[in-house]
Amino acid sequence: MTQKLELDAAVYSLEAVQKAAYRFIDRLTVLIHQEPGKVVCGIDPIAGRVIAVEHVIDDFKRELLDQQLRLKIKTETEPARNLILAYAFSRTGLQG
Amino acid sequence: MSKFQPITCYTNQTSQYELLPFRFEALGDDDVVVTNAVGEFSFLPRPKLEDLVAHRLPPSDPYYSRLRAKHFLRESGDQAALELLALKTRTKYANLRNFTNLHLFVVTLRCDHSCQYCQVSRQSEDKAAFDMTRETAEKGLDIVFRSPNQAIKIEFQGGEPLLNFDLIRYIVEKAEKRNQTESRNLQFVITTTLALATDEMLEFCRDHGIFLSSSLDGPEDLHNKNRPRPGRDSHARFVAGLQRARDIVGYDGVSALMTTSPSSLGRVKDIIDEYVKHGFDGIFLRHLSPYGFALKTKSYQAYNVERWLEFYKEGLDYILELNKQGIRFTEYYSSLLLTKMLTANDPGFVDLMNPSGAGIAAVVFNYDGDVYASDESRMLHEMGDSTFRLGNLAKNTYEEIFTADNLLTALEDSFTSSVPMCSDCAFEPWCGADPVFHHAMHGDAVGRKPESEFCKRMMGASKYLLNIMRTDQEAEEIFMQWVNRC
Repeated sequence: MTQKLELDAAVYSLEAVQKAAYRFIDRLTVLIHQEPGKVVCGIDPIAGRVIAVEHVIDDFKRELLDQQLRLKIKTETEPARNLILAYAFSRTGLQG
Repeated sequence: MSKFQPITCYTNQTSQYELLPFRFEALGDDDVVVTNAVGEFSFLPRPKLEDLVAHRLPPSDPYYSRLRAKHFLRESGDQAALELLALKTRTKYANLRNFTNLHLFVVTLRCDHSCQYCQVSRQSEDKAAFDMTRETAEKGLDIVFRSPNQAIKIEFQGGEPLLNFDLIRYIVEKAEKRNQTESRNLQFVITTTLALATDEMLEFCRDHGIFLSSSLDGPEDLHNKNRPRPGRDSHARFVAGLQRARDIVGYDGVSALMTTSPSSLGRVKDIIDEYVKHGFDGIFLRHLSPYGFALKTKSYQAYNVERWLEFYKEGLDYILELNKQGIRFTEYYSSLLLTKMLTANDPGFVDLMNPSGAGIAAVVFNYDGDVYASDESRMLHEMGDSTFRLGNLAKNTYEEIFTADNLLTALEDSFTSSVPMCSDCAFEPWCGADPVFHHAMHGDAVGRKPESEFCKRMMGASKYLLNIMRTDQEAEEIFMQWVNRC
């Protein structure tokens, strides 16, 4: 039976939820939709692959937090990332 | 009165720092590993990670200076951190601009062995049907010397390449002649079981600096089971061939590779002991590839990646024990990963390159003139899938071969920095794109990473190496020796 997980859109971005769902693609089918102020996941375990469903869903919730943290790091470090790459290739003649 | 300011004058009192690009992965429930843009890493308890990202980590925290030293954070005015990261990024990708180094010539598909997992060999006396011609080889050499790479390696593959030794001799002599004006760093390798190696062949190898890459699957019973040939004497022939090759070509002129068959799984210590017994200083605990006869004979399905990882871990533990007893011996798959983890160098191993090494680091000329992006690509062709056939030496130019749409699309699509899951994975700086494997298993160059055996194998091995380094200082020192060889 499909389990419904409602997430506060102010806390979890759609991108983080999508990335977490992708990481669990071998164990869970996650259908995602948005409602006002919410990101909603419909979760089904993949038949034959998942035995302890609750355990996997707990892992999925932890993964949601990790993905949100990853996005935060990625956003904050974007200027530094671009600067490092610009430095790295500054003498190659390859830059535009 | 002191002439100097106190140390506190120079320390950052405000805890104001800027994060530098990094990624993290969980190691169990309580800890994570963080990796920066070039693969340098550090271990952190989860609360420290959260403090770091929330800018709550105080300069007095021991993790602070460690993270600053490894370029995970920088204080205002720390310009060197950016410049060092840029320098390491350039070093990591420096080989890319050299383009293709390894050129494989499949001089024949004929073979005296009928190995259960072999992808390509033919039991045939018909030379004309499965041998490369001189004309095709000449066209292959034309492509070789179009490579801008100063270092050129030509590897002879089969079947059993010694069955067409006349062509090897022809190619070597032609290449050397051309190199008198090209002045490249030219190397030759023959991949051979050594079963058919004559003294005359070995003397030619000695005279032309040809390296021999051979095969040893383990003790005699296991080796002969994996590698049947008439007379069931593959192991005895290997041992005799090894001795003669070392005597004639030189002790370090011969190496050996093993393949993990289902029968190997419970015998990793026996296999390693066999390598030590024959004087080798390392082993590559190589998994089976999902191509050709390995699939047909169901060898590949006989064990999954989890079972291979058990085999690998048991083998690595044993190898570390040997090293601690004073026997210097390396596990090469680990050594490749560790080189990426512990140095700024990329070992240039085709399967662990990003962008993929297919075509741009290695290229294969099949016996019939077909050109493939990698050895696995031609094995895939033998199974009826020619996706990674880049052209034919008789019909296509250098430009047509290396700008073939199927090559460029595979390289672009599989680029790990923009692939789902890989782009956020902390192990990505140590990993590689393998479009051929993922195409073979999943039907496209990217595949689904959570289901990918390539991904599970690499992540499983990496996590095991990280755990060893976290808990065993002596082992970490041994790993440092593996990656810093003279």
